[in-house]
Amino acid sequence: MKPAPFSYERPRNLKAALAVLGQASDSVKIIAGGQSLAPMLNLRLVQPQMIVDITALAELKQAERHGDELVLGACITHADIEDGRTPDVTRGAMHRVAAGIAYRAVRNRGTVGGSLSHADPAADWVSALAALGAKLTLRSSAGSRMVAMDEFVVGALECALRAGEIVETIHVPAMGATAHWGYVKSCRKTGEFAHAIGAVLIDPSAGTARIVIGAIDAAPIVITDAAKLFGGRIAGDYKGRFDPRVADAILAKAGVSNAAHRHIHVSVLTRAVREAAA
Amino acid sequence: MSIVELSVNRRAVRISAEPRTNLADFVRDKLDLTGTHLGCEHGVCGACTLLVDGVPARSCITYAVACEGAEVTTIEGLDEDGVTAELRAAFTGEHALQCGYCTPGMLVSARDLVLRLPDADERAIRVGLSGNLCRCTGYVGIVKAVQSVIEARRARDIAPERDDGRKILGPVGSGRSLHRGADAAGQVHEQGTPEAAGSVGRIPDFTPATVLEQHFTVAHPPEQVFAMFGDIAAVAACLPGASLTVPPTAERVEGAIRVKIGPIAATFVGAARVERNPADMSGRIVGIGNDRRSRSSTQGEIRYRLVPGGQGTRVDLSIGYTLTGMLAQVGRPGLVRDLAARLIAEFAGNLDRRLSGTATDAAPAELNGMALVLGALRARVARWLGRDAE
Repeated sequence: MKPAPFSYERPRNLKAALAVLGQASDSVKIIAGGQSLAPMLNLRLVQPQMIVDITALAELKQAERHGDELVLGACITHADIEDGRTPDVTRGAMHRVAAGIAYRAVRNRGTVGGSLSHADPAADWVSALAALGAKLTLRSSAGSRMVAMDEFVVGALECALRAGEIVETIHVPAMGATAHWGYVKSCRKTGEFAHAIGAVLIDPSAGTARIVIGAIDAAPIVITDAAKLFGGRIAGDYKGRFDPRVADAILAKAGVSNAAHRHIHVSVLTRAVREAAA
Repeated sequence: MSIVELSVNRRAVRISAEPRTNLADFVRDKLDLTGTHLGCEHGVCGACTLLVDGVPARSCITYAVACEGAEVTTIEGLDEDGVTAELRAAFTGEHALQCGYCTPGMLVSARDLVLRLPDADERAIRVGLSGNLCRCTGYVGIVKAVQSVIEARRARDIAPERDDGRKILGPVGSGRSLHRGADAAGQVHEQGTPEAAGSVGRIPDFTPATVLEQHFTVAHPPEQVFAMFGDIAAVAACLPGASLTVPPTAERVEGAIRVKIGPIAATFVGAARVERNPADMSGRIVGIGNDRRSRSSTQGEIRYRLVPGGQGTRVDLSIGYTLTGMLAQVGRPGLVRDLAARLIAEFAGNLDRRLSGTATDAAPAELNGMALVLGALRARVARWLGRDAE
């Protein structure tokens, strides 16, 4: 099995990469670790004329803490986070998400920026980083802009990137000391793409929560006015107040018409809430 | 086509490949390393798992061009690896394979688990092996085998390594291992595994099977020639077919030399130790190298001494070597002497030009096999005619 022929560029720095992308035609794909794109290339589902490999860009292989924020370069791998080679501001939450992505051999090459750009609804970071309230810096030769995760994934395999634009950095806010985190996914086989993802960041002291229902074959549902899921109030007793019927109604409204599918999503979300409360 | 340069099983390779060539096809089709198996070819089955920079990667969804400079280790390169040897014994003991198709990938993933998992927890092993499919349903035996190796190693107080020893950030294979620092992000990648360490560790002394004496003269004073002999990169640039794989130090050089004898082309990749004695302007270079294609190895020693003579310097050389493997079948001393004489003649010419400042920086031409054969033929014809070849 071979991809259709493509030409290959491996720019040495971000400026050169943006220049190549700026001149390229529509038929160009950016590749980082290639763990999502390469299967599609091999199956000839994607047939770009040119591939621009951004893994030589040292600028994108950096991870730093800036005050209350973690700034990850787009080419940081899942294994980098799993192994603790990057700083952590999420009290281990990102480490646990990373360790559960696909398989070790995939995590050694797959990148956070690549996964987000690929925008597979079933991908872990698409839901997890939305729940963590992350933002992305997108850069093109024309300049840069910042987009919140909620706005970035716009549909299945569709994201807000414009032609000639790449994800440069991912900004993850530090998780508050009183916040609770729960992350659960359902896979038919360990390491396979998830059929349902529940990601919850609940701060009972502040009375706030970010609830994400992911892997719904579309952009994840991000609920920021989450009190309605807990009988109108988020407090220390949120586990007991969680109302699955509200989650079911939200899923139905989002177009998940199959009751069995909604049941799986609601069950997974319920487990995520329990995990947060544990 | 792109030229891809990387190291496979500790040998430097430089091969042209289409950008769409994945690493599995690269090692299988171009290097005959067919131990890497292809199953699904889209990253699901794990049969093609091999080591890139010392850690597991899927070779079917990793393109060879993206691994420029990387250190690739296939199952063939794990023959001498201690952990893999333990795993092979355990796989045999537990009947952990039937048809064997998944086994190379299974061993690579299992090796990684043995190194990283803190204990022989069955669930953790099953999760860790979930990316490797076995269609003979041999999982029970495989998991038991991995458990037994982890238990044995932890009982011997061998601690787990959470991060595989990896120190740099970014996709494995993207950090240009061979060209350390070229575009390394963060810290430099220190060797991922002991097995991936430099191809040649200690370079032993040896007694050569064959010794050739040669000499040549250059029209420059001995001091200048001796100084230049200390510049390894410059000397290598004068030697036809020679290339360096890492920047040399004053005492050690790693590289390759490509030679052709008729239809036989060999590339010996290896390392050498350099000794110099300024007192009598002599020196010694002792090296060992391997040619992958012919599965041949050589140990070589070059001793040189600079003697003032005429308007310049006479360089006395003593070249000793031992050749083993397939090339030794055809590498008769006579053939090698011819080769050495030609190499030295070209070397002397290049050296002279460089010392005179007329050398270009272009890589010296590889020793031309046809010219060698013609040269040998000419000499032979001349002998038949009872005349000197010149």
